[in-house]
Amino acid sequence: MNFIILGVLAGICIFIGYIFSIKYKRRSSFFKSLVLLCQKMDVEINYSRERLKNLFQNFDDKMKKNLQGIDKNFLQYLESNSPLQEEALLKNINFLKPNEKDLIMLFFKSLGRSDLASQSKELKNFEKRFEEFSQQATSENKKYGSLSIKLGIAAALMLIVVLC
Amino acid sequence: MLKNILPENIYNILAEKVSFNAINELRLRADKPIVVAIGAQRFFLSEHGLGGNLDEAIKASRVMIEDIIFRASECSIYSVNEQIKRGFIIMPNGVRLGIGGDLIEEQGHIKTMTNFQSLNIRIPHEIYNCSLTAFPYILQEENILNTLVISPPGAGKTTFLRDFICQLSQRNYAFNVLVLDERGELDLGGSSLGNFSDKICFASKKVGFENGIRSLAPNLIVTDELGGQEDIEAIRYATSCGVNLLASCHSDTIENFIKKPSFSKLIDEKVFKRYVLLSMRQGPGTLEGIYNENFSRVTRL
Repeated sequence: MNFIILGVLAGICIFIGYIFSIKYKRRSSFFKSLVLLCQKMDVEINYSRERLKNLFQNFDDKMKKNLQGIDKNFLQYLESNSPLQEEALLKNINFLKPNEKDLIMLFFKSLGRSDLASQSKELKNFEKRFEEFSQQATSENKKYGSLSIKLGIAAALMLIVVLC
Repeated sequence: MLKNILPENIYNILAEKVSFNAINELRLRADKPIVVAIGAQRFFLSEHGLGGNLDEAIKASRVMIEDIIFRASECSIYSVNEQIKRGFIIMPNGVRLGIGGDLIEEQGHIKTMTNFQSLNIRIPHEIYNCSLTAFPYILQEENILNTLVISPPGAGKTTFLRDFICQLSQRNYAFNVLVLDERGELDLGGSSLGNFSDKICFASKKVGFENGIRSLAPNLIVTDELGGQEDIEAIRYATSCGVNLLASCHSDTIENFIKKPSFSKLIDEKVFKRYVLLSMRQGPGTLEGIYNENFSRVTRL
């Protein structure tokens, strides 16, 4: 019985470590997908002047998943007649820092609001900024993501040693 | 369709207290009252519907205008930049948004328009039989005479052209009609252009006429708003190919039309055998007269 309880407690420690690491992983893949979104949009609007709704609907499913629902929220805004709100666009996303949130809001607010040349330039600028965030998030993921799991395992081992 | 682009409160007032069937135009100017045109009359829009009181009138704002343009472009202004450069956006149901703002020119070419400050939303209506009075003067002995419909802006030229095409179809005159719809205003969808018409959209008259005559072999070409020298050359090209024409242009009187330098060649060559003059006198589409190639009235109205 004691071994089972010990096993469960160790599992919980590792799971907590994993939960912390997931945040970093999500941040990294989120910004990578935003960069890809910018690139795809730039190509599509220059090539076929594709409308935003179609662009978001046809975005790659895996990338959509990494965007954590932001694409769905933006589509909802496009189909509604209400202004774009941060709470609605970034709902359920809790891993962003305030400056990142601001930039993302700025990005989505700028979409579809200007002519082709300006929109294309804006997309390239945003892509650069997201690329910086992505690199930062990737290095954080490497550093802290794996660290969280390691700490979880270490805590589990310590618990086993102490309780045994 | 207007529900998707107008602010909710404006749409609700128009839908509940006015009627979209009655409205011809909706004019929004930044920081100025919204004006609704019904027939030849103009009204301010207030919370209570249409009223003449300036104090109660709802004012448009630049943000409101920008948002309407954004929505009308399906949230993608870049996709309609070519239209914006020409000063309008056409929506799928033929609603035309005329836009005023700052034009950006670069090396003599219009690059785009920014700082949108005014908006003229024109709501097209199908007015059945509005071309019937003129119909027998244009169609003679199973032949369509080259005809130019003349009127000031908003006086029913496009509606007249659309109805004429429909009348031909309803009477089973199986002329192959080519509709050159440069601004996408003529076709309201459904059977608005009858059963015997082909359509070329958003092309210039020159390109549309050349391609259309070559590929669709029309008997009649219908086109709206002749203007520049290129349009006149396209008309001469079409008549030289033996295709009949029904077109329109802006002018308020026959006298002023004759003074237009760009039309002088067409007038001298008597290309058009009929001129139909419309006005706003008793509302859009008031038929003022039908004239022959020598500008003599062919009918007393």
